[in-house]
Amino acid sequence: MSTESIEKTSANHQVMPANAALSELGHEHGEDNRGESAEPESSPTSLALSPQSGATLTRPSSAQMVWTLASREVRASLNSAITYIVIAASLVVVGLYFFYYKGGFWQVDRATMARMFDALPFALCFLTIPLFTMRSLADEKRVGTIELLITMPVKDSEVILGKFLGAFAMVSLQIALLAAYPLVMFSRAPFWHLGELDWSPFWVGMLGLLLLSMAGTAIGVMWSSFTESQILSYFATMLTLVALYAIGSVTIVEFLQGGVGDAISFVSLQSRFEPFARGLIDSRAVIYFFSLTVLSLAVAFRSLESRKWT
Amino acid sequence: MSTDVMIYANGLSKQYGSFRALDNVSFAVHRGEVVGFLGPNGAGKSTTMRILTCFIAPSSGTAKIRGEDVFDNSLAVRASLGYLPQRAPLYLEMTVYEYLRFAAKVRNIDESLFKSRARSVVEICGLAQSLSKEIRHLSHGYRQRVGLAQALIHDPPILILDEPTSDLDPNEKAEFLNYLKQIGKDRTVLLSTHNLKEVESACARAIIVSRGRVVADGALDTIRAKSGRVRYSVEVQKAAGGTPSREELERALSGIRGVKTVTEHPTDEGAYSYSVDGEEGQDLRADIFRLVSAKGWVLLELHRDTQTLEDVFRQLTIGDERRNRQFGAQAQDAGDDSDGDALDNDDETDDAEQGES
Repeated sequence: MSTESIEKTSANHQVMPANAALSELGHEHGEDNRGESAEPESSPTSLALSPQSGATLTRPSSAQMVWTLASREVRASLNSAITYIVIAASLVVVGLYFFYYKGGFWQVDRATMARMFDALPFALCFLTIPLFTMRSLADEKRVGTIELLITMPVKDSEVILGKFLGAFAMVSLQIALLAAYPLVMFSRAPFWHLGELDWSPFWVGMLGLLLLSMAGTAIGVMWSSFTESQILSYFATMLTLVALYAIGSVTIVEFLQGGVGDAISFVSLQSRFEPFARGLIDSRAVIYFFSLTVLSLAVAFRSLESRKWT
Repeated sequence: MSTDVMIYANGLSKQYGSFRALDNVSFAVHRGEVVGFLGPNGAGKSTTMRILTCFIAPSSGTAKIRGEDVFDNSLAVRASLGYLPQRAPLYLEMTVYEYLRFAAKVRNIDESLFKSRARSVVEICGLAQSLSKEIRHLSHGYRQRVGLAQALIHDPPILILDEPTSDLDPNEKAEFLNYLKQIGKDRTVLLSTHNLKEVESACARAIIVSRGRVVADGALDTIRAKSGRVRYSVEVQKAAGGTPSREELERALSGIRGVKTVTEHPTDEGAYSYSVDGEEGQDLRADIFRLVSAKGWVLLELHRDTQTLEDVFRQLTIGDERRNRQFGAQAQDAGDDSDGDALDNDDETDDAEQGES
């Protein structure tokens, strides 16, 4: 380190790049570079002195842009320890719940995964979704990176979509990993083979989880766009999702009955998810989840745009 | 001429609640100009730059980059800009290389072009040793280099740099200004800074803002001449017995025709030291010398200070600082805050550099 800083402070540090560090830019270029470095005067001008125009000023397509932003999000998440802690802890807790809570899977004594869908939606609402969405815009605003991002030729809508897809990819990864349980339990050798599982309800349940997570992630991104604080974003998202989920519980709906009960079961994540848990694809629920997603993202978009006016 | 206008601001105003951050700011920057954008903290430099880079919208007024309106055609504007925001906010978890890749992708630069651009940008910004380091492990000076690198990666015709040198050490600053002069030949650069020496070494023109208004705009020489005053330093020996007396000397100096003000400077026991402000276009040195020799005093020093940009800057913007200190507790706090920040920044930089070595 110390030799490096000495080099840096020597006046001509800019004209002696370490070729080793440049190897990432391609070996062939590394070779060229060594030649250039010998002539100190020429190198700083190697960025063409006439500014480019036309071709270089184009933008990638919106899809490509969203992909670039989303994959940056995913890479940032994979770079953070909290991601691994959340995923690992969730898997352990789900496993314990599934096998041991109140007698667990063994007492049911049937080849079914239905039990997994009792508590999972709640766990996603309570922990996974808020954790994977709290960073997205809040942290960019706090650190100020949003300014650099938005002053690149990126549309606000692409930023929101990229953020959403990045977070949704992480939540989906978490959900996909849950499929490891039935695969280990019911597929043939070399794993356990506990019997013939009826796979269709399981996949429908997973689809339901994904749809629910999609809507939840959009709500999380929306809250994240309102604040600079990750903690605030976490709690706002968690409370919103838990409330939306819990109001649909059978006791509440039955207690209220009539119009109010109907209205609640119309908006509740729990009552919308319930058919999926039983292996039914409910088209109204699909439309509901998509509408919730679009609505939340639209609000997030407006909120991001509002920086211009305030 | 009009096609040559790269940055154009007309009547820009920005209102934050009851606070007017910008008040009718207008200027134009032409192709090939490197313009220093000066002003005290909170004068509206960053606000102006944020409007020009489409990050925020003005409350009123228009801004155009290469003839494209920042509001109506913001994507085209942003595509032709390279922007370095204050204190280089970067994604800390990425490596320098990844960050540059990301910036290039967003700007639709393909792989082979990226490699050659990255190579020159890395040379210009001196990042070869840091390419594979995560940005969070870099000192502020290096982060600023990375910020600069991403602003240059697409080789933009217009650069907007918000205090690009604030975290650089003197060597880096010198290199950077040198480079700026080179690329400024056919690019357009708007550069905000507090450091007037930098403006003098890199820019031919400066725009000075104060309290959201443009208070000076023109070639540096024109701005320097703006104060309309010439300052003389005079030092007279204190003879034994304390002659001449302070009052006598002051009265005599003030009595010279053309002298506007006489200010005493603290000095050692043996001499009196004064700054004498006189009108421009009139050399008072001969008069001062004659006065001193006629009285039989001993003149230790007499010279005329050329008016520096700094003097003009202080004259034009002193109101800001006065206002900070004038009012009750609230105004006092604001003044203290800004001082505190300046100190904090220095500390941070030092720490980071120590960590580096």
